[in-house]
Amino acid sequence: MRLFKDFVRGLWAENPTFRLLIGLCPTLAVTTSAINGMSMGLATAFVLLCSSALISLLKNVIPGKVRIPAYIIVIATFVTIVDLVMNAYMPDLHQVLGLFIPLIVVNCIVLGRAEAFASKNGVVSSAVDGLGMGLGFTWALTLLGSIREILGAGSIFGVALLPEGTTTLGIMALPPGAFITLGVLIAVMNMIAARQKKTS
Amino acid sequence: MNESLKMVVVLAVIAMASAGILSVVYGTTSVIIEENAARALESSVFEVLPNVSRVEIIRRSADELGVDDPKEMREQEQRTTLIYQGIDSNEQVVGYAFVGEANGYGGVIRILVGVDEVTDEILNIKVLSHTETPGLGSRIEDESFRSRFIGKTVEDPIAINRDIDNISGATVSATAAADAVRQGFVNASAVYRGGE
Repeated sequence: MRLFKDFVRGLWAENPTFRLLIGLCPTLAVTTSAINGMSMGLATAFVLLCSSALISLLKNVIPGKVRIPAYIIVIATFVTIVDLVMNAYMPDLHQVLGLFIPLIVVNCIVLGRAEAFASKNGVVSSAVDGLGMGLGFTWALTLLGSIREILGAGSIFGVALLPEGTTTLGIMALPPGAFITLGVLIAVMNMIAARQKKTS
Repeated sequence: MNESLKMVVVLAVIAMASAGILSVVYGTTSVIIEENAARALESSVFEVLPNVSRVEIIRRSADELGVDDPKEMREQEQRTTLIYQGIDSNEQVVGYAFVGEANGYGGVIRILVGVDEVTDEILNIKVLSHTETPGLGSRIEDESFRSRFIGKTVEDPIAINRDIDNISGATVSATAAADAVRQGFVNASAVYRGGE
């Protein structure tokens, strides 16, 4: 039961994108399409899962004064693995996400979970927490990317929804579209959360 | 163990473990990454050289470069342009493709140029990568700009406002693109014409 709670916390109550508003730089930059958002989310989820588990294992070995550099090395190692593997096996995707993969190292969600959760909890719950947060980030980015892709390009996951030649809202695929979509989504999430509070 | 020593040891061990893991991952992926990059460039070569069925890379031996020292040779190789030889289905060389580079407004512009074997005229060019301003300098990618280079030979000036029309509002990018094409052309033609 406690494990389940650790897992769903990242999906909704403490969703990094919609509730905590952290890690917004990749959120805004790569969600130009559903597939980009989902890939970025999954890459971050993998790093979160691995680094949270490993940091939890090492928490008693790492002296407090050097814990941040130690965490960063662990995180950077997993990020570099993702970067290299993606470059080798998914070169097209890697070209789109390019710069933002190495930036997962400094994504505050990853270091935040290491510092706030993994360094104080057991391996299993840390891994579950990392996975929950990662998947919470993933669905947020996928939703954001889907909306922007539907409005900006008239397709979803590359599958065209509108007939060829239909005018689309090009601005949704550009940076302003990211801010507009995220703003509207956060407003909707806040509304749902407020309703939940009222009924409970 | 005193505390500062422990800090040093723990960090060093973590860093070494990380380096070890990454060297293994790099070793296995770097081969595939290089193959992917080479394949991507090769498929671009097909775009600038029509009717080509096969691409061969021209490599020059140490004798041709005129240096014996292996270290100096490596540096030479890095400076020289890689040249692709386009071969058609009858095993005839139809043309050459090579990459030219120049500094534009926002960084290095890399352009692949395809040249006809017989007439030595530019058949087509393709902008491989650039970091120019979207909407202004990025117009060097447009067909209407690229087509201005078609038919030029190495004897032509290949310069903006001489034999290539400028892009208004993007003089720096256009000039750099022309420089890249000219530099690449001059370097490459010295190699493939000189080798005959």
